[in-house]
Amino acid sequence: MTKSAKTFYELEVERFAKNHLLGEHLYVQIRQSKAFMDEYYSDPIDLETMASTACMSRFYFIRIFKQMYGITPRHYLRDVRMAKAKELLKSGLSVTEVCFDVGYESLPTFSSTFKQATGCSPKKYQKMNNGNLE
Amino acid sequence: MIKINVTSVPVADQAKALDFYTKTLGFIKKTDVPVGEHRWLTVVSPAEQSGVELLLEPMAFEPARVYQKALKDAGIPWTSFEVDNLEEEYKRLTGLGVAFSVEPKEVGTVAIAVLDDTCGNNIQLTQML
Repeated sequence: MTKSAKTFYELEVERFAKNHLLGEHLYVQIRQSKAFMDEYYSDPIDLETMASTACMSRFYFIRIFKQMYGITPRHYLRDVRMAKAKELLKSGLSVTEVCFDVGYESLPTFSSTFKQATGCSPKKYQKMNNGNLE
Repeated sequence: MIKINVTSVPVADQAKALDFYTKTLGFIKKTDVPVGEHRWLTVVSPAEQSGVELLLEPMAFEPARVYQKALKDAGIPWTSFEVDNLEEEYKRLTGLGVAFSVEPKEVGTVAIAVLDDTCGNNIQLTQML
């Protein structure tokens, strides 16, 4: 398709990018920490480690991460782990195996976090998806 | 507990829309129930077949048609779908003849692109960066 004049939406995106985005280096730093969580979610990751991958102090890191993604880094890590847990439960791994594979060290903590995130327990989720593997 | 189970895009021709949303975009047909002269026709992501359904909603209300056209003309997306790799998806879709009004670009924490769904809507693809 030959591009004609920019649409209203495209101009609005450009205006937003020009006036409201933070410095580019901050995005690079924060993306580094996000990429770290995406890759190492199965390991125990504390706030100090997350912040150090972004080369920031802990409090500044939390503030900037939340400003960019709308959620705290801890909540982001939880979401990554829960998404992975759902996949693993569907694949047939036991709840205990999944718990440790996604970086939790306590089964009750994993189960309650999973229930909070999905509305049902890991066991029930696995049962519901048993005949519906995606 | 309340949950989001369905969202929708308005389409002028449901059969044509089903073709585009499945064969081109890659969704899977989930439900197809006759409702008078129309169909309750939904598609889902292959990765979340028990997840939120996208209703290909027949456009049968004139004010909605006006609203849809206004958004389309302004280049504003009706809705947004997430992809793992926007550049790859852009290449795949342009190879299939899909037209984009916004080519892939980074905007802060996301990369976006906007395509024409051939059913009267702009659809934004996003990749979290």
